[in-house]
Amino acid sequence: MWVRVWGGLTVLIVAVVAGALVASTVLPVRASPRQAEAPAAAGGAVAQAARPRVVLKFLTITDDAQINAWKAILQEFRTIEGGKWAHVDLAFESVPFQDLFPKIESAVAAGAQMDLVQSDGPDMKHYAFYRSLVPLGRYFTPEELKQWLPQSVEEGSFRGVLYGPPMMQSCSLMMYNRQMTDAAGIKPPTTLGRSWTMRQALTAWQKTTRRPAGSSVPTVWGLRWGQGTWVGDYEHGIFRRSNGAKGSKTFQGMGPDGVTFVGYFDTPEAIEAMQFYQDLHRRYRVTPIEPIPQIFETRKAAFMVTPDNRIGELNRLYGEGKFPWGVTGIPYFKTQLCHTGSWHYGISPNTRHLEEAVAFVKFASSDAGARIWYKHVRQLPANVNLLNSLPEYRPGGRQHMWFEAMQRIGVPRIQTPGYTEYQQVFAEVALNIIAGADVAQQMKAGARRIEGLLAKYRGWNR
Amino acid sequence: MSVATPALPVPRRWWTARRRGYLLAFLFIAPALVNFLVFRYLPILAALRSSLWQYSLLGGYGEFIGLAAYRRMLEDPIFWTSLRVTALYVLLKVPAQVALSLLFAVLLQRETRFAAVVRSAVFAPVVASIVVVSVIWALMYHVQLGLLNSILTSLGLPRIAFLSNPRLALVAIVVMMVWKELGFSMIILMAGLKGIPEMFYEAARIDGASPWQQFRAITLPLLRRVLMFVLVTQTIFSFQVFVPVYTMTRGGPLDATKVIVYYIYQNGFLFQDMGYAAAISMVTLAILLVVSGVQMRLLRSEVEY
Repeated sequence: MWVRVWGGLTVLIVAVVAGALVASTVLPVRASPRQAEAPAAAGGAVAQAARPRVVLKFLTITDDAQINAWKAILQEFRTIEGGKWAHVDLAFESVPFQDLFPKIESAVAAGAQMDLVQSDGPDMKHYAFYRSLVPLGRYFTPEELKQWLPQSVEEGSFRGVLYGPPMMQSCSLMMYNRQMTDAAGIKPPTTLGRSWTMRQALTAWQKTTRRPAGSSVPTVWGLRWGQGTWVGDYEHGIFRRSNGAKGSKTFQGMGPDGVTFVGYFDTPEAIEAMQFYQDLHRRYRVTPIEPIPQIFETRKAAFMVTPDNRIGELNRLYGEGKFPWGVTGIPYFKTQLCHTGSWHYGISPNTRHLEEAVAFVKFASSDAGARIWYKHVRQLPANVNLLNSLPEYRPGGRQHMWFEAMQRIGVPRIQTPGYTEYQQVFAEVALNIIAGADVAQQMKAGARRIEGLLAKYRGWNR
Repeated sequence: MSVATPALPVPRRWWTARRRGYLLAFLFIAPALVNFLVFRYLPILAALRSSLWQYSLLGGYGEFIGLAAYRRMLEDPIFWTSLRVTALYVLLKVPAQVALSLLFAVLLQRETRFAAVVRSAVFAPVVASIVVVSVIWALMYHVQLGLLNSILTSLGLPRIAFLSNPRLALVAIVVMMVWKELGFSMIILMAGLKGIPEMFYEAARIDGASPWQQFRAITLPLLRRVLMFVLVTQTIFSFQVFVPVYTMTRGGPLDATKVIVYYIYQNGFLFQDMGYAAAISMVTLAILLVVSGVQMRLLRSEVEY
């Protein structure tokens, strides 16, 4: 009897599943009210009726300003070319910065249906090496490539082929809270050429660190070096490179083969710089050992080394121009430098909507798209026309120093397909140094470890 | 005179009741069996295969390297560190959790309203998301912003860097995880307690046994099988700890919380070395099998009721 019952149940389940499959294939899908309304609001009702709705899945970092920018770009994108792209929508999947790389990697490897990815500039070569991005060279004419700064085109390319146009450019300088520097009687240099050395800056960081009586923990810290709460190479990697003369191994940070780190990462100058980095946290205690989210924005730090995207964030939180910020050059040891490069668009090889994805990326990185992006994110544009049109980047403008610094002291981060592995180890080394580890031992072990991990890329640039 | 007619051979039926029973049993366990085969054993085989090749998620399979990944493991100091950290985590967490859950189970087994409320409170963290719990505890532990340090300073005590002190970070995670998973083992032990016949306790009380004597002579021996289950499962779960480390410390500071599964993740997903990660997974599996086997052997119960 049980066999019959079981058999009957099996037949029933199979019939229901088969019926559902047939029904879902044959019957038209009913759009939800939101789906039906959104394109109409964008003014593309005719085109929407002609083409089925396409949702581009977009893997991004968690950043409200950037998400808002893409939403605004999408609205505009739907209206161009007579509403040709009115059927396109975006669905965001956002992860913290340090989780983006493994997320992209596993999504591509698993064949997950992901259309667009946000990729950090130095990682572009890694993804291109592994064919994890669609090469986009054929979709952009040489004339179109000229719409971006050459540094950005180089960063988004691998072996001469463009894999992703830039969202923006960058260079980190030191922003400060004017109220706090005024209260401490400090006048930070206003020109790049007169920037502080690290030792000079240390005095300012110490003066602005405020400790309540009887407490060992400050209520206001002198410094937060770098955006977010991580210790990535973009800002924290500057320390050791800055302690080398231009052209030295310390300054280069990596051998010309892109896989050698012993003798570059762990030079005596690099160790000396990272010792100072440790001292900032543990000896001088001008920067917190455990990072505090939005420390500068919430007035818990007087100085912050950051690109100018902080301005967009401050405007979003306090209103345009309400936060009393100032900017000065990035402090240095022997050579002043900032790391250039920023986010790029990438298209996943798993996309089923290549036409729409390419069209969106082209628009988002064009003059019109870049302008919307800038309005929300407020970071140094990679788009030349936009950059030339913004008064704040002209001499005398409030953000001019970022543009000047990018051109005068900007250097790209190390260029290797193993950048992602390098950065993970570097961050671990930096965190260990902050935690009080022996600096020389950490740097030497880190160099050996990076080399071991990158051995698989030997010969990549031949 | 009667003529004996030869008995006709009775045809043996192939479709016997016994065979029907076997088929029925097989049909019932078939879904679970398929699940185990597809989602448990096949991945183990795939991992074993990956460990013998140069393999990365994006690069796919490279050359065959045989046991090279296993040899590399022997010379990898971080692998040994992660193994040591994992063992320490298990040794700190499992005994604490089992002891506390047994205590709570015994104290809260009575059917009173108060016991029901406390039971719910103890069990509530089990159903909370581990990611959310980890983020909240990381904030609570924060040396400057955290609730725990606010309490310490309000009592005139110095602040403690729970997560950035290499000596405290693992303990901080253990405390959180014991709090998070206490309810699960408590419920299982309570079920075990309910299975012990009341007559044993009645007889013991008549003989004048104290509550502690009852606990030692009746509860503990008769709860041995359930305790073994809790101990084995908690050891396995603890060996596999990942999310709190990933969310709160990323293996730091100074590798103090770099448990084996985090190291596997790091190699597989961050360092493009899935083959090596698979090799470490296989060794972890072997260690777990041995540890579980030893536990089961040691705690095998002779007592039945």
